[in-house]
Formats: sequence, structure tokens, C-alpha cells
Amino acid sequence: MARTTLRAAAVLAVSTALMLTACTTAPGAESGDGEPQTGGTLKVLANGDVDHLDPQLVSYVPTYNVMRSVSRSLLSYAASDDAAERIVLQPDLVEEVPTPSADGLTYTVTLRDGVTWGAPDGARPIVASDVARGIERLCNPHISGALAGYFQGLIAGMAEFCTGFAAVAPEVGPIKEYIEGNEIAGIQTPDDRTIEFTLVEPASDFPFMLSLDAADPAPIEALDALPDSPEYRRGFVSSGPYQVAEYTPDAKLVLERNPAWDPESDPLRKAYVDGIEMTMGVEGDAAMQQLQAGSADLLFDLSPSPANIQQLKAANDEKFSTMENGGVDQFMWMNTASANNGGALTKLEVRQALQYAIDKSAVVQTMGGADLAGVTNGIFGPGILGYQESDQYATEGGKGDPEKAKELLAEAGYPDGLTLKMPYRNVGTQPDIAQTVQASLERAGITVELTPVPPTDYYANFMTNRDNASSGAWDIALVGWSPDWQGGAARSVFQPQFVFDGTPQSYNYVDFDSDAANELAAEALAAETPDEAADLWHQVDEAVMADAPIVSIAYRLKSNYHSARVGGFEPYAQSQNGDWTNVWLTK
Amino acid sequence: MSLMPKTPAAAARASTEVQARGSGRLTLTRLLRDPASIASMIAILLIIVFALCAPLIAAWTGHGPTEQFRETGLTPEGIPVGPNSEFLFGTDQLGRDVLVRLAYGAQVSILVGVLASIVASVIGIAIGTIAGFSGGVVDTVLSRTMDLVMSVPFLLCAIALVSVLGPSLSLSIAVIVFFSWTGLARVIRGQVLALRHREFVEAARSLGASRTSIMFRDILPNLVVPIIVYTTLMIPAAIVFEATLSFLGLGIVPPTPSWGNMLADAANGSLYLVAWWMVVVPGGALLALTLAFNLLGDGLRDALDPAAVSKGKRA
Repeated sequence: MARTTLRAAAVLAVSTALMLTACTTAPGAESGDGEPQTGGTLKVLANGDVDHLDPQLVSYVPTYNVMRSVSRSLLSYAASDDAAERIVLQPDLVEEVPTPSADGLTYTVTLRDGVTWGAPDGARPIVASDVARGIERLCNPHISGALAGYFQGLIAGMAEFCTGFAAVAPEVGPIKEYIEGNEIAGIQTPDDRTIEFTLVEPASDFPFMLSLDAADPAPIEALDALPDSPEYRRGFVSSGPYQVAEYTPDAKLVLERNPAWDPESDPLRKAYVDGIEMTMGVEGDAAMQQLQAGSADLLFDLSPSPANIQQLKAANDEKFSTMENGGVDQFMWMNTASANNGGALTKLEVRQALQYAIDKSAVVQTMGGADLAGVTNGIFGPGILGYQESDQYATEGGKGDPEKAKELLAEAGYPDGLTLKMPYRNVGTQPDIAQTVQASLERAGITVELTPVPPTDYYANFMTNRDNASSGAWDIALVGWSPDWQGGAARSVFQPQFVFDGTPQSYNYVDFDSDAANELAAEALAAETPDEAADLWHQVDEAVMADAPIVSIAYRLKSNYHSARVGGFEPYAQSQNGDWTNVWLTK
Repeated sequence: MSLMPKTPAAAARASTEVQARGSGRLTLTRLLRDPASIASMIAILLIIVFALCAPLIAAWTGHGPTEQFRETGLTPEGIPVGPNSEFLFGTDQLGRDVLVRLAYGAQVSILVGVLASIVASVIGIAIGTIAGFSGGVVDTVLSRTMDLVMSVPFLLCAIALVSVLGPSLSLSIAVIVFFSWTGLARVIRGQVLALRHREFVEAARSLGASRTSIMFRDILPNLVVPIIVYTTLMIPAAIVFEATLSFLGLGIVPPTPSWGNMLADAANGSLYLVAWWMVVVPGGALLALTLAFNLLGDGLRDALDPAAVSKGKRA
């Protein structure tokens, strides 16, 4: 409690200071890597490709660095080593971070002077209607943005707009006609630089949602091709310091300077390097060797392996760093929808017994120890507004209490223990974590049967298939969840997973719902100050955990590495990696 | 000095000292003259004893095969500890004793290797004999089936089967058998083709022996050599198959140890960079066992068929 208040106070203080000095202080310029230099090509190594090259559709964390380079958002964050500073909202395309009207329903933003599109026929100012067009593109009938749902339920008239849009033929002509011919009632553009958002209910986290690339403005050219089609990618019009020079799917992405970008209009990006070259299809160990040899600079979707980390730490390598990302990875869902073991998991005592049974500290150790992971006890991970250290099912050192678990099981009518089915992903440390959980449940008399599931099928075909829950194909399952944005992102953890309004949601596997938590969440969204919101979200967390639908186990720190020639490596919160637009190369 | 007896009396005396030796004994004698065969037999015996004694080793060390020693067997960062007095072969990524897991893994490897090879030989012998002896349409159909099985990509098929049926020990054995019987079947078919026109077969037929009787009483005994040699050589191949499947996470389900699983654990997260024993111990055991079976197979071939030796080695 005290800790959160302090932290929130620090956030406020830092944000005020930053707002005052935003135009004069270059983020990252003070770091001890020598003087920033301009020039050179930043070489990035990737295993897979970007999820989308269309701002409205992007939801894959590493891709946010590509977006940071080619597409400016309304609000954003400064790259920083400081965890609190990193999640303070900063104005990007707009002049200042908006504050809600008195009723909490209207937010007004004003676009900066000098912000431009790098259009094929020369630089052109970004105007208010481009912002409206971006949000209108979110729900198109061809492919809808992964994050569209958050906006759809919040901006007045957007649900109606999307319903109408769904009926449009998924072709270029009709889509363009619909977007240009209709508008969302809750987005008004009184002049070319002013946008007014009207919401259906107060949402203290709305400004954070405007930092998502999903809410980026879209130029008129974006409507000349289907969203994220090869034609769209070819004709991509950039608003950031870089533009796409060359793109071969699954092989290579080359970014070059965007001549239309005006550094004066952009307080968040210094754009030191002349170009960025991302090579895909590289494996983890090979990538780390290249970084250490200096033939590449940064990692995209790759991370150092536990053994790499051990070696880097032994060598005291300062180029290795870790950061919090707000996620809980791992936590364990308990299947309350199946009749296995006579519906054992529908009983609260049994679910509570599992809370006590699991040795969380052992999982943390399996994940690389206290430097790389930590114990969690609620639905929120550290780094989210609303996270607080507290535990309704506390055990000493998070090591679990098998005796207490056995007691609770006996009370619930299972004195001889239980046999539970647990699927696990056959990739990385997942088998190890599954075996660690298995061993700790064994101590409490619970036998776990492990079934491997191919990693690509785990979420897509196994967990999200509702038949698997109702038929009892699994009893307990380990999953992870990262918030969809940073800072005030509790909504993006709570709503998709712990709210059931009648229509099944993909990631609320067993249709969990809690009236108490829903009421508190509504209050939290209407809260006036971040402090108040944080406090209410924490109560939401406690209300959910009182029902014990999940066992929260651990959070994992994101680990990053860079080559010796990279200077000014400071993480950008959205991409959880060094900011491509603020690093420089020393040779 | 001459070895030839000088007088008929001496010759007669000498002849009473000469004893007729059975072919089995002759084979054994020849086998025992080959140091590589002796060494490999000893190695195989030792590994079998090691596998059988797994529970004793677990009792002696006090470490179960799936027991995790999070305080003594792992650093706080979750990195395994190397060989020491408590863990003779070090620990793995979950703090389990590699020595104990190696012993239990040997059980899996030997069980799968021997069982799969025997089943595959039985199938191979049956199909090869029937194809070679029957000829005609039956031969064509069976031979083309062998070709078909040989042309199926092993791993692709294994991955597909395992994702549909879920991994298990019996499925691993079934997959290995399915892909192992064809080699022996081909050899047997060729041998049967050559044998069935030989005089003793003609003689048996003219005496009125039935086809079944000829197959089992006349032809099969002549196939003993290739069967023994091939089956012995199939064992190491089956052991490596099983290790491959487990390495890919398609074989034995964790936490049950198998040598392939243990190697996969070492490769996972590049742990071999900091924990060499996780590769060297199961890898060395796998190498020793397969090498021993291969050398024994070679030795057996030489011992059972001395003609081949003089042709192969001394020509």
C-alpha cells in the first residue's frame, strides 16, 4: 500500500518534470555510452517475422519497435532505464497528454505543428481526419485489429459503426467507400488539428489506449489496399523517422530515413542511425554469438537463453539487462467446466488447496532465479497500475504448504488426493516448469498426468477450444498473459480473461465471472486519479483471487542484450527492448 | 618337428583326442577370439546390469529418478551443479541426479531396443519368407509394400502419429517397429529366393513335405545367420530411434527419464554451454551401448560365417 502510493507519487513527479523539460531533454542522451553519434546501419536479428506491418493490426510486442520507427502514435513513452519513467505517458503527435472533461467522458487532443506523412507525392501534414480514419480502420470486415475490442466498447458510436462495417464486402472499393462515407459519432474533428473523443463510460485508462499503434492516424493511401495485404505493405506511408525500403516476408526488413520526418516535431525520437536492417530466420544461440562478435546489434523476438545469461552474468557483461513487463508468466487455470474427479475443481476448497500446494519459488528457480523472475500472487504482474504485493494464500517464501493443501483437500472430500490432467507446451522451459509444478503438487498428494501439446497448437487449437474444457481434456493448464499496453493496463488483463458477459471469450477458458470484481472494475475505470484507480484495481485483483480461478505463480523479467557498438540502449516500454529510434552506433 | 603322426598307431591315438565340435561351440570359440566382440559383450552386460540395478542405485544415492533437489542440486539461478560427491554425474536443469536418471533411462533404452528389434525381426522374417517362398502376385504385393514403407519419411510420420495419438512408450515401439522390419524382410526374401531351388528343398518336396514344413524345417534353419546378425544390428538402430523420438519430445513423456529426453534437456536453453555433463553422460552412454551392439553384430557375422571373413578381411 505505502509502496504503491510512493511509486504513484514518483510517477507523478517524474511526469511533471518530464513535461516541463520534454522539449529540451533528449531521452537517453545522458547515458554513459559516450556522445551520441549519427549514422550507420543498425542490424537487428529476428527468428520470426513481424505479426503485421499495419499499425491498426499490430499486437505483437517486438513489432512495436518497427512501429516506433515508421508510425507515430498520438501518445507514447520515452525510452528509459527507469521503470517508473518508462510508463509515463508522453505526447507524441499531439501537443499534450489529454485530461478528461468533468464528467470523465470527453478527451480532446490537438495535433502538433509540423507532423507530416512521407507520402509518395511529398510531405503532407497529418490532420485530424487521419486520426479518425485510423480508428475507423480498426474494425474492417477483412481482418479486424486484435485490440479493436477495447475501443469498440468505449468510444461512443463505434459499436454501431463496426456493426455496419461488418456488413460491407471485404474489398478495397466498398471498404474505402464505407470509411469515407460514415463516421464514428464519438470522434469529432472541429478543425484540422483538434480531435474530440466521446466515451460511453468513464475510462481513466483511455489515454494509455491512445499510446497503442492501433490508434495511430491512417493516411488516405491506406485505403487503397486491403489491410496488411502485400499491396498495403508496398504502399505503406510512414509518419516516423524511417520508412520501409525493402521487405521480404520471413527474410528481411530494411528501413531507411523518411525525408518527410521533421526532428523538431518529435520529442521522443532522436533517430541517430541512418538505416535499420532486420534479418529473420536466425536461431537464438547463433544470434547471441553474432551480437557478441559484433556482427549484429539488437535482437527482435529473440532473448538470451538461460545458459547465455549465466555466462553473461559470470562475465559481468553490462550489455545484458532485464526489465519488468507487467505480465504474469506463468499462472495456472483450473478447469471448473469439467466433470473430472466428480467436479472436484468446482469446489472452492480444492482450488484453494492448489493455491497452497504449488511451490512458486521452485518455478522461479526453474525460470532462472530471482534475477530473472519473481513470485506473483494475483492476476496483475509488477509494472501494472493496480499491482500490489499481497497474498490471500500466503506461504513462507512462496514455497507452498503441502500440509495445509492436504487439509483443505480432505475437508473438500478428497483425503486420498486427486489425479489431474495437465497439458504443456513442448517448447523452451515449458516442460521444465510443468515438471516443477508436477513435483510440487505431488507433495500434496495430487498426481499430475502431463500431456505434451505442440507449441503452435497450444493456444490456437487446444486451450481456446471450448470442447476441451467441457469434456475435461485438461484439468489444470499453465498459461501466460501480458497486458496489451503499459502502465494503466489493468483492463487489458482483467477484461479478456476474467469477465464473462454471455458470449464466450477466447482467453476466459472456463467462463469465469465475478460480480464483485466487475463492480470494482467499473469503479476503477471511472476513478479520477491514478492512485484511486490503482487502489481499486488491486481490490479487483483480490476479488478475483478470492474465487481462486487461477493459481498465480510467477512473473518473468524480459532480458535484453545488445552488441558493444550500440550506445544509448534504453528500453521502450511497448516493445520491451532497446528503442531503435534512440540508440546510436559507436563505430 | 612335424605335426604329422609318424605311425598308424600314433595316428589312431591322436584321433581319439580329436573331438567333433558342434557349430555353436565353433562359433563361440571364433567369437571369443575377437577382442572387440568380447569387449562389446562385456559392455552390454555391464549396461544391462546397470539398468537392472537402477532401483539399487536410487536407494544407494538416496535420490529418486524424478526427485528434484532444489537446494543442493541447483544454484539459486536454477543452473545444474556439476559432478560432486553427492551427485556423481552432476544434476540436470531440475536438480535431479543424472546418475540415477541414466540408470532408469538405460531400462527404457534397452527395453525399447530389444523389444522393438525382436518384434521387427519377427515381422521381417514372416513377410520376407512368405514373399520369397510364394513368389508371383504375393511377392509383388509384399515387395512393393516394403518399398512403400521404406519411402515413408520416418520423422514426418512419427510426428503426425504422435500428435494424433499422444506420445507413449508403446507408440514409440510401434513406430520403431513399423520403420525397422523392411531391411530384414528384404534380405530374407533374397535368401529364400536363392534357397528354394536348392537340391535339399527339391528333395523335401519330392518326399511329399508340405509347403509349411519346407518353410519351417528346411528353409528357416538356413536363415539363422542373417536373422541373428540383423537383429543384433537392429538393436542399436532402435535405441537411436527411441532417443531421437524422445529428443524431439515425441517419445517418452517427462518426467520419466530416457537418454533421448536427457539429451533434449541439455540442448534446451543451450544448457550444454554451462553443464557439459548433461550431454557427455547420456551421450557417452548412448554411444557406448550402440557401438557395443554394432561391434557385437559385426563379430557375430564374422563368427557365424567364417567364409565371409576370409573374403572380407583377408582377400
